[in-house]
Amino acid sequence: MRGILAVALNTFREAIRDRVLYLILAVALVVVAGSRFVAMLTVGSEVKIVKDLGLAAVSIFGLLIAVFVGVSLVSKEIERRTVYTLLAQPVARWQFIAGKYAGLLMVLGANVLVVGGAVLAAVALLGEGAAALVPAIALIFVELAVVAAFAVLFSSFTNPILAAVGTVAVYVAGHLSWSFDLLRKRIAPGAGRVLCDVLHAVLPNLDRLDVKAEAVHGVAIPSGTLAAAAAYGAFYALAVLVLACVVFERREFA
Amino acid sequence: MIRRVAAGLLFAAAVTGAAYARARLAALEAPQAGSKELLYLPNGKYLKAASLGQAPVAADLVYLWAIQYYSDYARQDRFRYIEHVFGNVIPELDPRFIDPYWLGALILTTEAQDLDGGLRLLDLGAEKNPKEWVLPFLAGWECDHAKEYDRAAAYFDRAARIPDAPAALVRLVAGMRARGGNLREAIAKWNEVLHDPRGDDASRAIAERQVRTLTVRADLQELDAAVVSFRERRGTAPRRLDDLVHAGLLSRVPRDPDGQPYRYDPATGRVSSDASRVLGS
Repeated sequence: MRGILAVALNTFREAIRDRVLYLILAVALVVVAGSRFVAMLTVGSEVKIVKDLGLAAVSIFGLLIAVFVGVSLVSKEIERRTVYTLLAQPVARWQFIAGKYAGLLMVLGANVLVVGGAVLAAVALLGEGAAALVPAIALIFVELAVVAAFAVLFSSFTNPILAAVGTVAVYVAGHLSWSFDLLRKRIAPGAGRVLCDVLHAVLPNLDRLDVKAEAVHGVAIPSGTLAAAAAYGAFYALAVLVLACVVFERREFA
Repeated sequence: MIRRVAAGLLFAAAVTGAAYARARLAALEAPQAGSKELLYLPNGKYLKAASLGQAPVAADLVYLWAIQYYSDYARQDRFRYIEHVFGNVIPELDPRFIDPYWLGALILTTEAQDLDGGLRLLDLGAEKNPKEWVLPFLAGWECDHAKEYDRAAAYFDRAARIPDAPAALVRLVAGMRARGGNLREAIAKWNEVLHDPRGDDASRAIAERQVRTLTVRADLQELDAAVVSFRERRGTAPRRLDDLVHAGLLSRVPRDPDGQPYRYDPATGRVSSDASRVLGS
């Protein structure tokens, strides 16, 4: 556990020194602050637009961080050959991967706290209750945790560019996984249907973690639904992380 | 030095060329200003799939763009795709987004003079948001403006039945029934207001006055109609109002809300009531 924590803290410290992170964070905050001005263009719905843009900023810029920071986490260590030094320490390979992932989660958590906090403050300044947005922000973090797990998985066996492509592809497929269910109903029984079933079951269903619309419109989300969604995301991310550990364990370094 | 000057001149030439080309493009596009931008606006279902979890903000962006687009009165054919934008694209992206339904309906009814199109948008909004009384309420006002009082009453009635709707909506139903000439239905609605335990004293006073006034109006209408029928059958006006009962034209002669008989002038065949007493003054 100590090994994971050490790697995680080191990853976090390294990431927060990266200027790209601050650039993404600054743009996210500008979007949140600017949403008030965008809302001036509307007829009614000013607060809705501030909420929507704010939550989109938390989600999209969080995704950018998960991809840009996540995809190079492991491959950078291999490229710089610092991985040899690290693995010479009493840190198991799985601990290294778990620590990297935990460090990335810390970065994402800090981003969600800062940008999400700015959204809540912006909404509160308009005299609206912001508490309903908290579950949506929490589930955005869970979604980012799933995407980050894929970024670490791809980073553990390929270069950053391919890892970024793979992670973004999983994000896109995760938001379109319903389409496989739709497709299977329209094709004849056989291999195609089996493939659709497999893809629908295996790909992350990221729409299940999206309650932004409900939160913005003040629709009550049952606590059981929130807990189940959070558990789904957490277990899914854990499964991907285990896969990343297995892949990294089997990897040979020249 | 020469290189720097050359680079500066080249840069200035490039900027000028780009600015000229842009202005030229704008000039070429201007006469086509119509629904060109809308040709490529896809179905809301596809846009939702493409939004990858950001459907609410996509709905906001389409809505903001639509406000700017429909605020440009110089556009030709500007109402052609309005139901597609406000009734398909935005509702598919965010069906709970209420404002586009009423704004689209307002543009259709007020500017395009298309009441049915506006009502279709408001009906769609009400279907997707059955707890929002404001959409059938607005549909009622649109019908009122178009002098379609029965449709207005039906919409207000639908709005009034939604939980948490203001109790005062029943007054609008009654008012529209009266305007539409359905006086007995209006009286029944005003009686609902009068006996509603949630109502305040002011509402009850209004309801009481309306019941009295409309009762007199309804009675006078029925008596006048009966007198006209009597005159058509017998060639002369009845001597007393009781003659209308004997002729089978009325089951009984009504009395005014104070229990007093209506005044009848056999010479002119006119039935009347004491208006000041009816108004309660």
